[in-house]
Amino acid sequence: MTPPRNKNFSLRARLMLGATVMVFVFLLGLYPALQQIFTRALEQAVEQRLAADASALVSAARVVDGRLHMPDKLPDEEFPVLPARQLGFIYDSQGQLVWRSRSAANHKVDYQPRYDGRGHVFTRAWDQQGQAFFVYDVEIDLLRGSSAAYSIITMQPVRDYRPMYKSLKRQLYVWLAGSLVFLVGFLWLGLVWGTRSLRYLGRELDEVENGQRKALSDEHPNELLRLTRSLNRLLNSERRQSQKYMHSLDDLAHSLKTPLAVLQGVGEVLAQQPGNTEQARTLQTQVGRMSQQIGYQLQRASLRKSGLLRHRVRLEPVVQTLLDALNKVYHDKYIKVEQLYPADLRMPVEQGALYEMLGNLLENAYRLCLGHIRISAGKTADHYELVIEDDGPGVPACQRERILQRGARLDTQNPGQGIGTAVVKDIIESYDGQLQIEDSTLGGASFRILLPLN
Amino acid sequence: MKLLVVEDEALLRHHLHTRLTEAGHVVDAVGDAEEALFRADEFNHDLAVVDLGLPGMDGMELIRQLRSKGYTFPVLILTARGNWQHKVEGLAAGADDYVVKPFQFEELEARLNALLRRSSGFVQSTIEAGVLSLDLNRKQARVNGEVLQLTAYEYRILEYLMRNHQQVIAKERLMEQLYPNDEERDANVVEVLVGRLRRKLEGGNGFRPIETVRGQGYIFNEHCR
Repeated sequence: MTPPRNKNFSLRARLMLGATVMVFVFLLGLYPALQQIFTRALEQAVEQRLAADASALVSAARVVDGRLHMPDKLPDEEFPVLPARQLGFIYDSQGQLVWRSRSAANHKVDYQPRYDGRGHVFTRAWDQQGQAFFVYDVEIDLLRGSSAAYSIITMQPVRDYRPMYKSLKRQLYVWLAGSLVFLVGFLWLGLVWGTRSLRYLGRELDEVENGQRKALSDEHPNELLRLTRSLNRLLNSERRQSQKYMHSLDDLAHSLKTPLAVLQGVGEVLAQQPGNTEQARTLQTQVGRMSQQIGYQLQRASLRKSGLLRHRVRLEPVVQTLLDALNKVYHDKYIKVEQLYPADLRMPVEQGALYEMLGNLLENAYRLCLGHIRISAGKTADHYELVIEDDGPGVPACQRERILQRGARLDTQNPGQGIGTAVVKDIIESYDGQLQIEDSTLGGASFRILLPLN
Repeated sequence: MKLLVVEDEALLRHHLHTRLTEAGHVVDAVGDAEEALFRADEFNHDLAVVDLGLPGMDGMELIRQLRSKGYTFPVLILTARGNWQHKVEGLAAGADDYVVKPFQFEELEARLNALLRRSSGFVQSTIEAGVLSLDLNRKQARVNGEVLQLTAYEYRILEYLMRNHQQVIAKERLMEQLYPNDEERDANVVEVLVGRLRRKLEGGNGFRPIETVRGQGYIFNEHCR
């Protein structure tokens, strides 16, 4: 079964995305709060200013014979200047306008004070053009020692503060965006630092899988140590199990095949005696079948895939070791071996399985070729490919089908076939790969192995 | 040829001993690696057949030790496990070929003969020296195409001298080719055999390739190819 394609983001990407969204939402919530705080502060400043203006009006006012007198020129120059920025009004206790500043001459602001002799009000009002004003209304009952009931009102257009307000809003945006970038950057650095140990663990696992390292080191954060130690125990136990298994298989092979070799010898001796030929032949045939089955089953058993490790074995040293061995055995046959593959190519197969696959196919090629063998390999978009070609007689079409038939039992195959090709086919099937037999451009057979990328 | 057979299973060892002796070799058959090392030190072997699954020191280690001691004779591995990592390891340790158990004797013999031919520098199965030709498969000698009637012992001496042509061969070496180690030996037998062989080779054509090197042994002084 092929593992499902991993469409998930990495842990770091997830944490990064989550934290970024969180920071963004936080800043988004912070923005109206900051805006409100500023507006309040601004309004308080305006109120203080208008209160100061009202005080200026109060200190300028005089009551003579029960009537209010205001000087022509007020101490605060802003009231008389046109066009007005600040407006001043004074109402008596009946709500009658008794004085207005020159700047207020053309303004009709919709505000009517209600005199109760106490306190002050800070509010907003609108004129006929719909323009908004801040309004400060203070009521007095004494003026320079004499009783006098008046409402002193100062106003300033809200419009005056709009540029300041806009500039603050812009600054707020800039600061918040800057903070966002800054925070996300820090988060990223933190995550890189935090996930460094995971990346280091991944690298160590790669090294274990490639055989450069026997176990994971102890240099991991406490949170990961339990995991790495468990993995080490698992690796160790699998390695020990596998060694024990291989030794048992070796012992089994030795204890089964040596007696078979004796029986084979006895059969040969019997066959030399007249009258025993038929029995001897039966004995030899049965010994042959048993030995083939034992050999096949033992080889199959020894090539179980490790469940824990994903193997990546370099092709070049395996090929070189096998070629050295085969050149020794086929010393008298002068064979040219062409090798067409990248020197650092790694095959996704366990080392023992790679030896068996290549050993069997290369031995066939050495045995059957006239003098030329080609080994080519590479990685395409969706699989690894390994091709062994020779200039020998090739494989007849009828045998190709028999070899390639999925799940074909060995004993239904041509007895001359040997177990080599059957083992190769078994290994390839156990890795979800494919074996194709074609004609080679060299003139002989071409065995093409396709293995999936993962 | 003198062969060292190392196989722990007594029946198989006996079978190999018998068949290889029948095939014209002198066989030194032992059951463990320590004994094999001792025999290799004591006698001159032309080839060793080593079972990999030996008790105690295994076959792989035996081959390594033989090579580290400087023995260059070819080694053929007998292995129960036919897997390639085993074969490759054995060949890398210094073996020259392998046969997977159980085997047909003819296959083993063919591999042995190929190794023996190769170790003496002959690629073909026939060694030629002037008018004399030696067919290693049929174990037959011909002079000018005429088959020489040789006894098994005469043939062994001739083959050994021709494989080691233009080298002085001590009488003791030739003796080892004729008798297993534990048998009684008589140095005169070699002289008698060489004398008969010379007469048969000379026939009517005066061909005298075997010379005596006084006090040392014999030399086949004709170039062989």
